[in-house]
Amino acid sequence: MQALGLYRPGSSILHRAPAGGKLIGLFVLALAASVLPASLVLLGSLSVIVVVLYLVAGLGFRELAGQVLMIRWLILLLTITGLLFLPLEDALANITRMVLVIVLAGLVTLTTRTSDLLNAFEVALSPLRLVRVNPERVSLVLALSIRTVPVIAGFAQQLRDAQRSRGGRLSIRAFVVPLLVLSLRHSDDLADALVARGAD
Amino acid sequence: MEREIVLTGVSVDYGNRLALDNVSTRLDAHRIAVIGANGSGKSTFARLLNGLETPTSGSMTVHGLDPLRQVKQLRRRVGFVFTNPDAQIVMPTVAEDVAFSLRGRGLSKSEIADRVASVLAENGLGDHADAPAHSLSGGQKQLLAICSVLVSDPELLVADEPTTMLDAANTRRIADLFAALPQQIVLVTHNLRLAERCDVALLFDGGRLVEQGNPVDVIGRYEREFA
Repeated sequence: MQALGLYRPGSSILHRAPAGGKLIGLFVLALAASVLPASLVLLGSLSVIVVVLYLVAGLGFRELAGQVLMIRWLILLLTITGLLFLPLEDALANITRMVLVIVLAGLVTLTTRTSDLLNAFEVALSPLRLVRVNPERVSLVLALSIRTVPVIAGFAQQLRDAQRSRGGRLSIRAFVVPLLVLSLRHSDDLADALVARGAD
Repeated sequence: MEREIVLTGVSVDYGNRLALDNVSTRLDAHRIAVIGANGSGKSTFARLLNGLETPTSGSMTVHGLDPLRQVKQLRRRVGFVFTNPDAQIVMPTVAEDVAFSLRGRGLSKSEIADRVASVLAENGLGDHADAPAHSLSGGQKQLLAICSVLVSDPELLVADEPTTMLDAANTRRIADLFAALPQQIVLVTHNLRLAERCDVALLFDGGRLVEQGNPVDVIGRYEREFA
């Protein structure tokens, strides 16, 4: 669960940079990787930039490799479908673009506290007030989503362990139904906690 | 500062079950234990104090505030600690979760950071400020949940079975923490040793408040008649 892209404390220039600036930087680089015509020079340059940024952030090759490893199944899936429908060069270019964008996004979350990211989102979403959408609520939903992933993963682990301990074979129905019940109960408890903490 | 909880003929009816039945009491003790069997009405009583439940009939005030008409002020003054800290921690990291309690209070970023750092250091979580909340142990998570309540400096702390999921060492740690707090505390618990350390105990059965008084006497009756 450590690989969820959560903040790694540090004091690098990237850690100290404002969240809004990093999001804009991510947007520009992601746009360059996605829109500009793929070439060895462009993708090679962007790859070098990504590696340098990870090193500048003090995260190193290991963290970078961890981020790529985390999306290995997605890479595999895209490789298979890409090779089926596209020429080899285009398939490789598309996979490289996607990996670059994901590890760049990972770099932003690794070097930015969630609360700073949420504040930046709140600023970016503030025009939505004109259509009566509360940006604070949107950012709270994002925070809760991030927080809930490991909780639900914990429920899933408990259920798998319970099934194994009773010697049963893994059954989808006996897994999904209780997982849904536990998740709904958790959402009720979470709603109570938010109310108790004055978040309504 | 008024430090009194007053209930007059309070009932809570869930339609198919009377969770509290005509409860009247006046409480100004520092540490108040609430004991009773499962389904006896303890948690409903606790939830009334923070406005999570409202009386179906009767009236009540908590530190002079009416939960029906002044619920926002009430929630700022009454902190609530739940049994399962995982359901109470809403932000991804330790410091961020504590800071969440101070949102919308008009404090500057540095004031929030100082208060968060201080409460975490006081409760032994100073080294975990940037850790993901899910990586903490059960005891540390409950400590975090308590820190997230204490940081807003409530007048009353309500804890609903806060040690049920903890081992002996963490239970003792939480008990010692509660014993040292200056705030009024309402502690719902099945742990009779914890109840013994309080100044007064309430015993609930079938939604009714059946006894209130010295913890040793109240626990004695609970063990004789209900356990």
